[in-house]
Amino acid sequence: MSALLNINTYWYVLPLVVAISLVYAASRHESWPRIWAHAARLCAMILGILAAAIVLLLLVNTWV
Amino acid sequence: MASPVPLKNPRVAALLAWMCPGLGHIYQGRTGKGLLYMICILSLFYVGLIMGEGKNVYWRWINPLNDPENFRFSYVCQFWVGLPALPGLIQAYLKSKGLGPILWGYLAEPSANALNSIFPKLGKLVEVGSVYTIIAGLLNILAIYDAKEGPAYGDEDEPVGGQSRANASSPPPPNAPAAAPGANA
Repeated sequence: MSALLNINTYWYVLPLVVAISLVYAASRHESWPRIWAHAARLCAMILGILAAAIVLLLLVNTWV
Repeated sequence: MASPVPLKNPRVAALLAWMCPGLGHIYQGRTGKGLLYMICILSLFYVGLIMGEGKNVYWRWINPLNDPENFRFSYVCQFWVGLPALPGLIQAYLKSKGLGPILWGYLAEPSANALNSIFPKLGKLVEVGSVYTIIAGLLNILAIYDAKEGPAYGDEDEPVGGQSRANASSPPPPNAPAAAPGANA
């Protein structure tokens, strides 16, 4: 448990986003190539939006 | 619209999917998807549970209108993981009847002292663990819906035997004339 405490909180987002992407994509499609492709796109999109939000908040933080 | 995949008895599949994530799909013969759901949802749930030392998933019988601060909204989401989260409800029922916990206290409501002690010790892990377990429950709702209704599909048809689903379900008549160019314009 102490090892988990030393991990930066941001890393806990990764398994969550991967699981959400896979389950959502699997609920949309039946063929595996489409599931993988959809999950990869969704995962990249969620992580991209999160990264953009972090950059935006950091920028705002520098101005305030 | 009929589902393109055999769903056997969709209600039984949905019940099985609630009981154990992925079980409904395995019952339908969609083993790969069942295992995917099972691995993703149960991993999230149990990792989250371990992060909170088993004290972040429990239920207590409280009227949310009278005491909204102590109402366990999180368990309403966690409940959808199925049997792994069900003991929380049973433990709360036993407590309301004045009986002791079963299953070695698995998912029983922790004492106030125990709850107060985990936050200084684990800090953010308790919160992250709660989020993991809540998301696991919500994801299983998607899996249950998939077991009941079949895959939703995206904006384009899934190929069925080399044809699109629309073509496969309604083959053109053998002597049908070819569509004139620009007929749909």
